[in-house]
Amino acid sequence: MADYQLIIIGGGLSGIAAGIRAARFGKKTLILEQHALPGGLNSYYFRQGHLLETGLHAMTNCAAATEKHAPLNRLFRQLHLSRKQFILQEQIGSEIRFCGRTLLFANDPAVLEAEIVRVFPASIDRFRQLKRTIQQYDPFAAAPWRSTRQFLAETLGEPRLEDMLLLPLMVYGNAEEQDMDLGQFVIMFRAVFEEGFFRPSGTIREFLDLLVQQYLQFGGVLRYRCPVEKILHNGGRVQGVRLADGVELTADAVLSTAGIPETIRLSGWDLPLTRYSGRMSFMETISLLPRERATDLRTNRTIIFYHNAAELKYRRPETYLDTSWGVICFPENFSGQASADLMQIRITNAASYPLWKALSAEAYEVEKKQWAAASVRASEEIIGNYQPAIVYQDSFTPLTIERYTRKADGAVYGSAVKIKDGVTPWPNLFLAGTDQGYLGIVGAMLSGITVVNRHLLQ
Amino acid sequence: MTRDEIKDVILEIIADIDEEADFNNLDADAPLRDQLDLDSMDFLDIVMELRKRYKLQIAEEEYPQLATLTSCVNFLEPKLQGI
Repeated sequence: MADYQLIIIGGGLSGIAAGIRAARFGKKTLILEQHALPGGLNSYYFRQGHLLETGLHAMTNCAAATEKHAPLNRLFRQLHLSRKQFILQEQIGSEIRFCGRTLLFANDPAVLEAEIVRVFPASIDRFRQLKRTIQQYDPFAAAPWRSTRQFLAETLGEPRLEDMLLLPLMVYGNAEEQDMDLGQFVIMFRAVFEEGFFRPSGTIREFLDLLVQQYLQFGGVLRYRCPVEKILHNGGRVQGVRLADGVELTADAVLSTAGIPETIRLSGWDLPLTRYSGRMSFMETISLLPRERATDLRTNRTIIFYHNAAELKYRRPETYLDTSWGVICFPENFSGQASADLMQIRITNAASYPLWKALSAEAYEVEKKQWAAASVRASEEIIGNYQPAIVYQDSFTPLTIERYTRKADGAVYGSAVKIKDGVTPWPNLFLAGTDQGYLGIVGAMLSGITVVNRHLLQ
Repeated sequence: MTRDEIKDVILEIIADIDEEADFNNLDADAPLRDQLDLDSMDFLDIVMELRKRYKLQIAEEEYPQLATLTSCVNFLEPKLQGI
């Protein structure tokens, strides 16, 4: 008999959600996490007594507990968590800012519609038609890749509006450069513009604790600091895994949430690595400043998506960092969120993994500092000056992301080509998470759930 | 298990899956999914829970027999004899 019925590689949100499903229905399950904390891309760390979050700006797919079919509520039922006891805090409102033109949006879709009437009055009928098309579209039906760019050009015919709508949807969930699959666009449009942003009360730590506790309560086992070195197979079936310390563990099935490139490396899967290496990575700079020093700042938004160039450039930059567009997030700007003495500003910009990778250790530190400053300067043009007030600052780069999450090349949304059925050449090795296809926190968890339901429970 | 006990078990399982489930006015001869607004993922959980509790293997082609409360009881009664 194998040591476990299921071994899950990765204690991120997809891995924990998958683990809850398997353990809930009696499977002897082990999650192996390389890091000392759970969460993967959405985790946290401590610096000088501050808890800093990685990943999470906001969760998408906000929904009231009574909306039974909303993705968020389906997720809670599947994980056997009480949605009624889960307190969510909604965004106060966000902004898309493109060369001086702005569109506001909030969790009430009427806000965006009114903004389109204000800024693009000639396009409002076409925008309403777009919403109807999105409502009727089934993004989960198997379909060949279809260009969102082309679809929007045909539906809206207003390039600036098309770019403005695409910016937040791409930044929060597109692994491809320049264009995105129409199915993914529909998922993201609903998640962001129709359902909207929220945060769980507290930090990502409490949310992860809730999930981990649920997993442990169902009898699951979770081991930290256990990097997997190899997926072992023999005679066409996966036998288990070998850990970095040489220990071998056997399993009836293995679920990898490490992404396609990393799974290729661990298993010897015969796939072209370059085809599955994502190109979109980011650098994020978190600044802490005393609240009283922020009175002159324009901080009345939850998230600002800014773009200063003429047309949308969602692609890997040719420099270390592209500060001409990015995301400014105020993580405290959710209704009911208690404000701390220090406020946070988080700036995210697209970064080039190969350039960061080529640096020596000393040069890396120098560049990181310089580019963090450039990123702050770019955001100051939009929200006002705050550099002198910063009491603590930290940044992570594509290399940090790769080191802690094993997402090859620091590609937070993984491969541009997804393996949606989660199937590999081995009948008992499956994929879940970013490279199975659903993105974001809610998406990652639904990915883990769907793959376990489909391949391991029935 | 008696027919009434089986009925209680089904309702208990559904209540456990969906904290919003409302059994007032439930018609035992009408489809559960429509009345309680359950989706296919919820439905799978009923099957999984029966398997976990009573080691029952229910094949996919048998799922239609779980459509209404009455059909559930009819289907499960012989399988749960002596439990």
